[in-house]
Amino acid sequence: MTTQRFKGLSQRLLRAGIAPRQVKRLVAEIEAHFADLVAELRSAGLSQAQSESQAAVRLGTEDVLIASILARPELRSWARRRPWLAFVLLPLFALVVQFVLSMLAAVAVIAFSTQVLGITALYPGPVPWVVRGLQAYGVWIAPIAAAAAACFLAVRSGAPLTWPVVGCALVALLGAATNASFEWSPAGPRGVLSGGIGLHLPDLGLTSGLRAILTVLTVLVPVLWLRRKRRELTSIP
Amino acid sequence: MTQNASLMSGIPELLVLRLLSTREMYGYELARAVRESTRQAISLGEGVLYPALHAMESRGFVKARRRTVSGRTRVYYAITPRGNRRLGELSGEWRRIAGGVRALLEGT
Repeated sequence: MTTQRFKGLSQRLLRAGIAPRQVKRLVAEIEAHFADLVAELRSAGLSQAQSESQAAVRLGTEDVLIASILARPELRSWARRRPWLAFVLLPLFALVVQFVLSMLAAVAVIAFSTQVLGITALYPGPVPWVVRGLQAYGVWIAPIAAAAAACFLAVRSGAPLTWPVVGCALVALLGAATNASFEWSPAGPRGVLSGGIGLHLPDLGLTSGLRAILTVLTVLVPVLWLRRKRRELTSIP
Repeated sequence: MTQNASLMSGIPELLVLRLLSTREMYGYELARAVRESTRQAISLGEGVLYPALHAMESRGFVKARRRTVSGRTRVYYAITPRGNRRLGELSGEWRRIAGGVRALLEGT
């Protein structure tokens, strides 16, 4: 566990974009080194206060340590080395994957219900609700989940919010431009399944525009609140 | 003694790899070994050793493993075959520079 002496170092490294795994290990090793130095100086006859003060000098100041760590780009988190990938392309890809998977799941639910459970469109039971739920997930929840994951990752790693906000806006626009519908009509013995997915770009229209704004607000309001909270917490001496 | 930064660049890597080529060590041990083996002519800010070690690890020159000794868990570093090759390159480079400087000094 990081003691108070090295807590500031840990927080500054995280804010500077060093990978959390690296920070944890670096700080633990530096802390253990400090303890070894204090023990060495104590055994040489120095008081606890003198030992700690000399150990801190031998270890290097916090600024020197941070400068030496930041000079190694390989220690930075991949998200900070490629923010456009982590906070823009990856959420867009995640949105597409979630949308496709939710649509496939809806088709699979209907296929399983009719072929294995013998449910028909005339007496569909809960199947339409499940399908509507999956459809709503793909259209409404998936963009929020994709954008929120990227933004929370950014807040957690202390990254600037520029790229995550760009990613969030693009995910919201793409999410608002997609549509999906399933119709399971009782035309045949087992019913007839018809469905469609659509993409309205670049002309979004009012409804889609409102969907995009709703997604952005749903994600960014809690993210900005969380970011402010974290800053308040880390600024406490 | 003040140490020229440009002359010192690359030396921590050389020293660390050389010392690790004899046996695996943890950070504090390495810092002590640097002081002792260079007769205190080279003193690194001891904390600076860790980013250097982590960077060398990410380049595959050293590998780290946790070991518990006398109830304390420490991260031990050992040189890898790639690290040995790098040590050979750095040693050759350093000998070439040192030989050149010696020749210059002995010639004056």
